[in-house]
Amino acid sequence: MSRLRALPWFVALALALSAPAFAQTQELENPGVTAAVQDRPYRLLHELDLWFGVLPLDAFYTGIYAQVGYVYHFTDRFAWQVGRGAYGLAARSSLRGELERNFGVQPTANDEVQFFVGSDVMWKPLYGKLAVLNRAVIHGEIHLLAGATLFRFTNSGFRPGINIGGGGRVFVNKYVSFRLDITHNVVLPTGGGTTSFGNVMTVNLALALNFGGND
Amino acid sequence: MLRLFVCATTLVSALSLAQQPAAKPADPVTGDAPAPADAAPAPASASDGGVAAAAAMGSGSTGTGAAPVAAPPPAPKKIDPKLFDDALNDYFAGNPKAAAPKLFDYTENVPSTDENYAWAQFFLARSLIELKLHHAGAVYLSRIARERTNPQVLTRALEELQQLTDRPHDEAMIDEQVFGALDLGFLSEDVAGYAHYQQGLVDLRVGNERWATTHFSKLPEGSAEASRAKYAMLVTRLKQARKDLPKEMVDQFFELAKDEKLTREARNDAMLAVARLRYEAADFTGALEAYNLVKLGPLEPGRAALYLEEAWTRYQLGQVHAAMGLLTTLDAPSFREEFLPDKFLLKALIYRDLCHYLPAKRSAKELTRRYAESLDAVRERDDLTRDPRLLRAASARGSTQRARKFLESLELEGEQLGRYAGTFGERMFGYMTRVYDLARAEAVRVYQRRLQDSVRVEADKLLRAAEQVRLMEYEVGLKLYERVKKGSKLVALIEEEPLKANQVSFKFADEYWNDELRTYRFSLKSRCIEETAR
Repeated sequence: MSRLRALPWFVALALALSAPAFAQTQELENPGVTAAVQDRPYRLLHELDLWFGVLPLDAFYTGIYAQVGYVYHFTDRFAWQVGRGAYGLAARSSLRGELERNFGVQPTANDEVQFFVGSDVMWKPLYGKLAVLNRAVIHGEIHLLAGATLFRFTNSGFRPGINIGGGGRVFVNKYVSFRLDITHNVVLPTGGGTTSFGNVMTVNLALALNFGGND
Repeated sequence: MLRLFVCATTLVSALSLAQQPAAKPADPVTGDAPAPADAAPAPASASDGGVAAAAAMGSGSTGTGAAPVAAPPPAPKKIDPKLFDDALNDYFAGNPKAAAPKLFDYTENVPSTDENYAWAQFFLARSLIELKLHHAGAVYLSRIARERTNPQVLTRALEELQQLTDRPHDEAMIDEQVFGALDLGFLSEDVAGYAHYQQGLVDLRVGNERWATTHFSKLPEGSAEASRAKYAMLVTRLKQARKDLPKEMVDQFFELAKDEKLTREARNDAMLAVARLRYEAADFTGALEAYNLVKLGPLEPGRAALYLEEAWTRYQLGQVHAAMGLLTTLDAPSFREEFLPDKFLLKALIYRDLCHYLPAKRSAKELTRRYAESLDAVRERDDLTRDPRLLRAASARGSTQRARKFLESLELEGEQLGRYAGTFGERMFGYMTRVYDLARAEAVRVYQRRLQDSVRVEADKLLRAAEQVRLMEYEVGLKLYERVKKGSKLVALIEEEPLKANQVSFKFADEYWNDELRTYRFSLKSRCIEETAR
């Protein structure tokens, strides 16, 4: 009985030992590793961004904004979004209209983002390419963002926030690329007499103009 | 062996020029251009596609769906002159299908002295070309060039013919019998340039360089033909002076490789010639520079010969990892059907140099395994053209490739012709069928003849590689069982180039991307001990 109980352990041990042996045989038969080593066709240095974005999180309005930004790329993996500034307009939702019509809520009762400025660091760990219908190859990268933003709200005035997010970029040519970023801002409970944290999410698309990276 | 290989590939550069539109006709330096035997039946295929001659001889048709050889042609019937105008109206209204039978009817029933006869032939040719019956169109255009009844039509017919040479075409009928035999006094500058170029090539082919130079000297300086002529002259001289290469020849080829008037393919051929000449002169660094200057289009896989030669060059420079990377490229689907016996030999050499003897032995054996049937066929003295690998290799290059492509285009057009059986009417359809049957029979003959020669060249290449591989197997076998002396140390590793800041590395996982084909890098540590260091 005790022998039978040990059988699964023997089998597991045999399998565990056979795996490296198999790998070794493979290594003997086809030794070496092959990689495609390519020059990056698109490199970035100075980047000027023209953004169009939305603030989708608030149920009472959808903020639509335009933004301008500048990014300095230290390396292919690390960059600093030196500055970005946005000005928004609020498209009020049907819920907000209903509240105002039926429940007498004042139009000024809701706090809306008027404009904001900020700065972020960018880490770009993923770089790759995609085959488009086996006819073309497009290059792109995925980045992560972390930074700080100063919001101006209609009611509570200026309030700072910290943000994290991520995005992707698709290169069109050496000078033009498109960026899609999604960030989440945690607005700190300071300023304007507020005592609670706020949340502002941004979804934005940019036309990025690149200078100097490929020289 | 390497020198032989490079000599062979240098000559192949000449072949490849002839494959390109830039050098549409048979290349003079290949030596495999239509020889007298090719040209023998030419009169039959000259002016009318050979239909008349065949009819006279009563020769049978070889194609499928061929009509039996026609009975004596019917007596000419009276033709309404308006038929020509109707046909032209159809043609210019964008209906070549309706125009063609009318024009055929017209040309068959009016004397050649009729004022519209040559125009009718011309528009019939244009209609046929628009119906994708290019060979039939070329037959009529060649007839215009031969009969020369109307100088205005003649010029336009020659221009059309010149354009037709961009695609697979009857070299004997167009290149030799029209452009090669043209009286050049009355031609426009463009056509005259092309005709001079063709006639120069014919002279080069028969070994008359002086006459060729006379023709080439009349080409307008800076024209595309002048550049092509320079290339043809250089390749001819290279062939003649193979043992004692003039040094300036490399510079001349280099100049040509930068000549924008040549097609990119021809420029690449010139650059490959530079690389091969430098390799022959043991200037491997220079050869590598030249290989790197060969330009490929975006996502264009390139040529297998380019990668293999570059791999040999890198091997000679001691860049074994890069050489092995290029051999990985040659396993890509784009090149899987390529006939490259040397590839296995080089792979075995690299593994041997890194003292990985089992993989070296396996690579060497791979050649004899993969080409076992072809090697058996050679040993058994079978008909080599029946061996699929040798057949594919032989018909993938030079004049044999051109002959194969022309044959394929005839077969395609022959099938296309079937669609017009109802539209063309019995007489025209029968005539066209005979034109295609005869052209096909002649194309098969020319192809088979060229194939016999080129398949032998490929078989020789295979046998040489197999011989090298046997030696390699023996050498590796000895190394495999060599005793390692006590205290032996591993030799210093061959340094692999580190990744630069602007580079990105994609690990290869059996998926070939065309944009990566030139960039594979192989990584393998040497297991050599000091005594066996290379």
